[in-house]
Amino acid sequence: LDHGYGLPTAAKECLSSIASQDVPTPQMPRAVFHTSESDPAKHTEQHEGRHYNIPLEEVKAVFPHGLPYRFQQQIQTFNEACVMVRRPALELFAYLRSTNFAHPAVRYVIYGERGTGKTMTLCHVVHYCSRQGWLVLHIPDAHLWVKNCRELLQSSYKKERLDQPLQASVWLKNFKTSNERFLREIKTQRKYVWGKRESTEEGRPLGEVVEQGLARVRTASDAVGVVLREIKQQSPRGSFRLLVAVDGVNALWGRTTLRREDKSPVSPEELTLVHNLRKMVMNNWSGGAIVTTLSQTGSLFKPSSAYLPQELLGKEGFDALDPFVPVLVPNYSPREFESCYGYYLERKWLQHEKARTEDGKAELQFLSGSNPWQLDRLAGPL
Amino acid sequence: MAAPSAAGLARRLRAWVPRLMQVRWSRYNPSYLEPEVNKELYQKPLEELTEEERAQMELKAVRPIKAAPPTLSSSVFRDPMISKFTNMMMKDGNKVLARSLMTQTLEAVKRKQLEKYHKAPENEKETIECNPYVIFHQALKNCQPIIGLSNITKGGKTYQVPVPLKDNRRRFLAMKWLITECRENKHRRTLMPEKLSQELLLAFKNEGPVIKKKHVLHKMAEANRAYAHFRWW
Repeated sequence: LDHGYGLPTAAKECLSSIASQDVPTPQMPRAVFHTSESDPAKHTEQHEGRHYNIPLEEVKAVFPHGLPYRFQQQIQTFNEACVMVRRPALELFAYLRSTNFAHPAVRYVIYGERGTGKTMTLCHVVHYCSRQGWLVLHIPDAHLWVKNCRELLQSSYKKERLDQPLQASVWLKNFKTSNERFLREIKTQRKYVWGKRESTEEGRPLGEVVEQGLARVRTASDAVGVVLREIKQQSPRGSFRLLVAVDGVNALWGRTTLRREDKSPVSPEELTLVHNLRKMVMNNWSGGAIVTTLSQTGSLFKPSSAYLPQELLGKEGFDALDPFVPVLVPNYSPREFESCYGYYLERKWLQHEKARTEDGKAELQFLSGSNPWQLDRLAGPL
Repeated sequence: MAAPSAAGLARRLRAWVPRLMQVRWSRYNPSYLEPEVNKELYQKPLEELTEEERAQMELKAVRPIKAAPPTLSSSVFRDPMISKFTNMMMKDGNKVLARSLMTQTLEAVKRKQLEKYHKAPENEKETIECNPYVIFHQALKNCQPIIGLSNITKGGKTYQVPVPLKDNRRRFLAMKWLITECRENKHRRTLMPEKLSQELLLAFKNEGPVIKKKHVLHKMAEANRAYAHFRWW
């Protein structure tokens, strides 16, 4: 028993024979952690803490981008997409149901410590709105637009702004996948001239603007600007409801790590994409809602302990977003932890024989501190 | 009474140096005891303890205890074999990196097996092993050579003599071969967890370059059978 290394299997047998709390927990019934209600509109407090299944075709249609990477890997391994219903999401559904679409759009800011489930809450809201038939403008991570950009072109529209063709074209492609129907119905309201020989007439469907942006990558950022502008102008009319979902909204008002050719730093408002998105997040339009998430994980020049809106947005961002509804996403409650643990057991994700015991569960809860991200990381190798 | 015995104990416990300098030695005085991490032992009531355990408990009241190394924990998930493997993978003392590589490897093994499991038809599901720890231990067991070669010089010439290997040596060789194989024979852009998970799965099925190396060693030992009598231990 000294070091245990000498005879690992013998030592394990020794330990397991002294069974105090080594009894494996029986499999918990599926109803504890799973619900068969797959329409987010019907989720209520009784579904809280339970996982619901999103069919895989719907995942491809609604979330071409936006799901966290670890969740995408989980979807591939388990062959199903299960999202937990949690209280912040239910709160947001209640607010969205009772919005008055004649009033200016209300801004909701989801905040919380690292790894508590802000992006997943946002994805839940996006799923709810797309099921209700809203037009969803989902920007998966605004931080990707202010860092690691290989090509910065000078904008042809305004001389002092900079274009990002790659990021814009990627976003347009994903936007097209998720909102085909609306791109056919919404018509442009004025003529847009892209170059000497290319222009889009008035009254053409918005899909053509997107095609133009994808075909001519140089004009992709301007195409994004046109799309945002048209949607914002036509939303008050009431033919469709608009949801602007931005993940990592604190990127729009921070600093960038991009530099021009003469090595001078670029500030966010000099980027076309960020400039247009800032206009979108203003509350001077009606007929929808704006749901955003703060994120320290991809942020630039912010300490890792910062999670409150004032710390992450800075003075400029806070003043710009000012009348907003904050939604805090906490760590797992004991009920939610049980549910997550039961789900992992049922999907055979926790393979270690000790992970099935009470001791193992207590250890997982202690080590992760009921933080969803930590629990996911800990349960990975087990 | 207390002062002379305290001074005597202090003198005995201070920098104790053995008479014969050993290669791998510890500066601890032999009176220091090892730390006991097993939780179940402390939860047992006094009546159930055997004689040796009771004597050990009484000794702990008077003897000092060595400092516990950072890898020793009372976690139920601790596996000494995995710790040893992680230490062997470590470079320049970067235990954080080595440990993260190990966890990523185990996760990669589990993911691959689970994907196969969920796509397999019902009757084949029992044959697919998804537990990364079982796969790791079985793969290492499959890679351990039974017999090794040792250089013995006799009459001016050096012969490769087949020699039985101790358990520790076998485990060490298996781990060393696995790690060198993963470090050397991979594409520049493949990461260690990916390559290690592939090698572990191959070794689990008794295929792959490490198993081949073990077979080559066995064949060489078989071929040099004639020199077996050169061994004197």
